Amino acid sequence: MVSTELIIKIGQILVFPGFLFLIFYALFAEWVDRKFFARLQNRIGPLHTGWKGILQPLADLIKLLAKEDITPEAADSVVFATVPIILFAIPLTVMFMVPIIGPKAYISFEGDLIVILFLFTLTVLSVFMAGWGSLNRFGTVGGLRTSLQMLSYEIPMGVAAVGPAILAKSLSLSGIVAWQGRSMSLFLENPTEFSLALGIAKASVLALGFGIFTICMLAELEKVPFDIPEAETEIVGGWQVEYSGKKLALLRLGGDIKLVAASALMTSLFLGGPLGPWPIPPALWFLLKTILCVMIISNLRALFARYRIDQMINWMWKNLVPLSLLYILAIELMAVLM
Amino acid sequence: MKETEFIIPVGPQHPALKEPEKFLIKVDGEYVVDADVRMGYNHRGIEKAMESRTYLQGLYLVERICGICSCAHTTCYTQCIEEAMGLEIPERAKYIRVITAELERIHSHLLWLGIAAHEVGFDTLFFYIWRDREVVMDLLELISGNRVHYAMPTIGGVRRDIPPEKVNEIKKGCNVLEKRTKYYKELILNEKTIHNRGDGVGVLTPKEAVALCTVGPVARASGINTDVRADDPYLVYDEIPFNVITYDGCDVTSRILVRVDEVLESINIVRYCLDHMPDGPIRKVVSPLMRVPEAEVVSLVEAPRGELIHYTRSNGGMKPYRHKVRAPTLGNILAVCEMLKGGYIADVPIVIAGIDPCLCCADRIAFVDVNTDKRWVWTDEQLRRYGVKWYQQNS
Amino acid sequence: MAMEPELLKNLTKKPATLVYPFEKFPPVEGLRAKHMWYADRCIGCGLCARVCPAFAIELDGRGKDVKGITFYLGRCVFCAQCEEVCPKKAIKLTQEYELACYTQEDTILKFTKE
Repeated sequence: MVSTELIIKIGQILVFPGFLFLIFYALFAEWVDRKFFARLQNRIGPLHTGWKGILQPLADLIKLLAKEDITPEAADSVVFATVPIILFAIPLTVMFMVPIIGPKAYISFEGDLIVILFLFTLTVLSVFMAGWGSLNRFGTVGGLRTSLQMLSYEIPMGVAAVGPAILAKSLSLSGIVAWQGRSMSLFLENPTEFSLALGIAKASVLALGFGIFTICMLAELEKVPFDIPEAETEIVGGWQVEYSGKKLALLRLGGDIKLVAASALMTSLFLGGPLGPWPIPPALWFLLKTILCVMIISNLRALFARYRIDQMINWMWKNLVPLSLLYILAIELMAVLM
Repeated sequence: MKETEFIIPVGPQHPALKEPEKFLIKVDGEYVVDADVRMGYNHRGIEKAMESRTYLQGLYLVERICGICSCAHTTCYTQCIEEAMGLEIPERAKYIRVITAELERIHSHLLWLGIAAHEVGFDTLFFYIWRDREVVMDLLELISGNRVHYAMPTIGGVRRDIPPEKVNEIKKGCNVLEKRTKYYKELILNEKTIHNRGDGVGVLTPKEAVALCTVGPVARASGINTDVRADDPYLVYDEIPFNVITYDGCDVTSRILVRVDEVLESINIVRYCLDHMPDGPIRKVVSPLMRVPEAEVVSLVEAPRGELIHYTRSNGGMKPYRHKVRAPTLGNILAVCEMLKGGYIADVPIVIAGIDPCLCCADRIAFVDVNTDKRWVWTDEQLRRYGVKWYQQNS
Repeated sequence: MAMEPELLKNLTKKPATLVYPFEKFPPVEGLRAKHMWYADRCIGCGLCARVCPAFAIELDGRGKDVKGITFYLGRCVFCAQCEEVCPKKAIKLTQEYELACYTQEDTILKFTKE
């Protein structure tokens, strides 16, 4: 017997806020990224496909799906074929643990933050496998660079993500979001001077965390200034160099979903997820906040020249790691005070 | 070769290279151990084709050696032919040639700055600089009718005059360019990520720069005061006050700054020329099918990329007996291998771009046998035959 | 970070790109583009064909019995040397610059004397 509940559940997985919604939202996010990036550079950006070129990412995807799919003779064909699927699946999995339509995510358990961080590391590993497995010289260099890069940004990323978790006393994203909503409403009910001061202190510390996390996300998403593993002018696309056709389409779609997942993480960890001060549907809050995060990322990638790998690792270990340790210290103090 | 070393081919087709050229780069992890350059992918047989064209037809062929420094090539070529014919061109024509050449230098340097920004992954700066480069392109279009291949200098003078109303527009454009270029200089000096990629990268010491015969901005960025405009003034450069820009950082940042400052200097030269341009005719009438008396002439011009040499030999006919072009890139390309050694893979594109290689200018084939020091030149056909024979024997 | 003010300033400005087929940049005066031949002025001296650096001009007939002229636009380099040498100003380069076409035959521009 098929109950309505089951149908709703299946609908949630497949349509909203599941696969279909996420894929189209990812394409929309790519469009926002491209358009905003273009406007920052005084260009127009995508224009002709649909309203203001809104269908351009979809058109690109369809075009790539129709192209010839080549596997190099020397490449490890199993690794070569599985990596795009993994890179497509991992960000989708992450998205199911992020609260979208309410304060509780579809999959939520104590410790899902750790799983998300682990999944993000897994993407790096698969990127490395892709570069190494394609047996191209540029691909090899790109794969090496990815893993080197990971060594430097992983610690600040984890530390920055753990900050809100300590304050919320919960290791699940839904718990963190719920805590943010709770403290906001507590403050609104009882605005004393002490709670205001504490709120400002908390907000400034978390803003620092947001900054650190955004920088790490730039590295995770391989955007300028940390697009070292796929630097087009240096190593011709790096680890992606041998991919074509359907596999490249999957990789690109996976990249878009990863962009959404990164901004969703930024939103849920630091910006209150789908909750907001005004009564509009939570999903809309989520969309607004993630789009804001996407815009922040595209603004940052318009602002810098690319780092060299050694400079990046140097900079990360000398500046970002100490900064994140300072940040975690402040968080601990805050937790004791509360 | 050590086990950890492998060769990365940069080119003949590579996103960092706008023209086909091959650099074989031996790397150990991220370090560049050795580099080698292969030229000749862009050989078009222009020098041979010159021999079957009249001097006037050759003018337009020479212009098409390169799209960016086309005016430098025509200026050099016309100087060559005028010298051989003993022709003195009108003063106003000289000024107009200088104006075109300097506008072209601005255009070339801004183009290069954009490319350099792109090579270090700073696409925003690339788009902004290229947007502002449109100003100078429009000025060139205004005075010559075309955005590239201006066809301004001709044998005996220039083809188009600059009337007073255009003078005002050029001055207005120069003001915009000056403002923007100063902004970019400020930006380049302040943006840390550019310094990260430029400081101490691709070092070429003054000693090496002299030994490897570098020319133009590359030599000037290594602190060598060399500029044909000052050393061996042609046209009216001896009347125009200008500074030769040198920096002694010897690295990529210096090469960027030399070019930015040269843009500013060129704007001043253009302004001076517009103010001091004498009235009078712009060209001497020369028969389009003229004969050039027997002569052997070399002429030098400071192209945007450095010293450009044209050599012509006539035997009294309507067509040159031999015409030889030595483009500035040929002087600089050997230095690239030296600059690359000891750097990182990530620095390869910006170091190669740092000399502003114009490979279509440089690709001319001449063979030197190192053992006997015998030199010879082959035509395409001979080369092809040799290639076929060589493969038959060796396979 | 030095570029941020400039970026934000440009966010509100109109993009620099022209949407080409819909918006066109007006051709400047003196642009060298498609040829025009005035049959009544031509005296058939053939100078244009002799100086053309791309060998893109063919004159049909010489002297008084000149019947027509052919410009191979695919080869032409638009240097306007033909316009310059013509003693009777019978060739003029117009400002019609949109010369892209689908077949090679379309690149051949033929004028004949009626």
